[in-house]
Amino acid sequence: MTGSSDLLRPVKSMADPTASSAVERKFPVRAMGDVLIVRKRAQELGVQFGLGSRRATELAIAVSELATNIVKYGIHGEVILVTDPDGGQKGEIRVVARDVGPPIRNLELALQDGCDDTGPIDPALVLRRGGLGTGLGAVLRFADLFEYQPEENGKAIIVTFYR
Amino acid sequence: MQPEDPQTIVEFSHERLEDLIQALAYAAIDDFDACMSLLREDGSDTFAWLEAGFNDFLGQLKIIKADLQGALARAEVSNRELEAKLETIERQQAAIRELSTPLIEVWSGVLCLPVVGIVDSQRSAEMTESLLEAIVNKQARIAIIDITGIDAMDTKTADHFIKMAKAVRLLGADCTLSGINPAIAQTLTHIGVDLTGVRTMRNLRDALQTFLREQSAINLKIHAGQAQG
Repeated sequence: MTGSSDLLRPVKSMADPTASSAVERKFPVRAMGDVLIVRKRAQELGVQFGLGSRRATELAIAVSELATNIVKYGIHGEVILVTDPDGGQKGEIRVVARDVGPPIRNLELALQDGCDDTGPIDPALVLRRGGLGTGLGAVLRFADLFEYQPEENGKAIIVTFYR
Repeated sequence: MQPEDPQTIVEFSHERLEDLIQALAYAAIDDFDACMSLLREDGSDTFAWLEAGFNDFLGQLKIIKADLQGALARAEVSNRELEAKLETIERQQAAIRELSTPLIEVWSGVLCLPVVGIVDSQRSAEMTESLLEAIVNKQARIAIIDITGIDAMDTKTADHFIKMAKAVRLLGADCTLSGINPAIAQTLTHIGVDLTGVRTMRNLRDALQTFLREQSAINLKIHAGQAQG
């Protein structure tokens, strides 16, 4: 599916330069297995899109953190990878991580390393909770744009990587 | 049936009323066959019409009940299937976790943790847990964390790796980081981590060779000591 739309893209934009060249890939996220799939695809897509292997890995880590958060806190959701999104710049990859879970109570706090959205995590609990509390911080460090969007039935985090 | 005078008194034996009550009792415990055998359907008198009505009603109930039980059984079966699937998923997730942190005892007392792919905060936490556990369980003296397969890492995750190496020392083992590529080296220096107490080697081969060299030097000393004593 993705392969064919990639092939169609240049033809479309030559015919009509104003036509949308955005390509969306949607991945449902319900369990840790889905996280593995979407982060693998994100890395491949990053390389294919010309991000370079290091930057593609950074994209994959960000996607992995966001998808892991969906499984841990968001009940279930989806990750959408969009190349050249409408309204964005050329050469942009946008990651939309949307879930049906409760909103982030305190975004500023959640973005701090070693914290969740209620405050600092007890270091003794880090192993048991299966994470360091640095996931969103990593996303913020790697992404060029970070946006949090509460939604009617859940929330979305939208991050952008430039080529 | 002829319309009857509402004033007409219907006569029936006490026995038939008891049969009807008994029939309803059977219906209550789902024994519809025993129940229906007690009811007359011939419509021979007014009471028999009542019995026939009950009979129809109970017959319908029997069919509905059977349908319901069938549906319940099917639901039970699919429920069990779902549970089995869930169990498989859980087992597979455990397998994935184990595969993502393969700990290899490459030499007696030497544990190697080759890290490949994408390292995020969760995986990093899992690695720490399994490495520290394995060091204790296998009584390892050396742990080599090989990160040749990693081309980018978040600064906090890198920091966690260094902390993991230090935790290994607390358990009485030595920790060597091998295969650090230029990008990771930049990340580590960028966040200004303190690398004292953590040995770094260019690759896994160098790390192993160093261990073996040191080991034979120790053995020689022990040997010499025994000869003197």
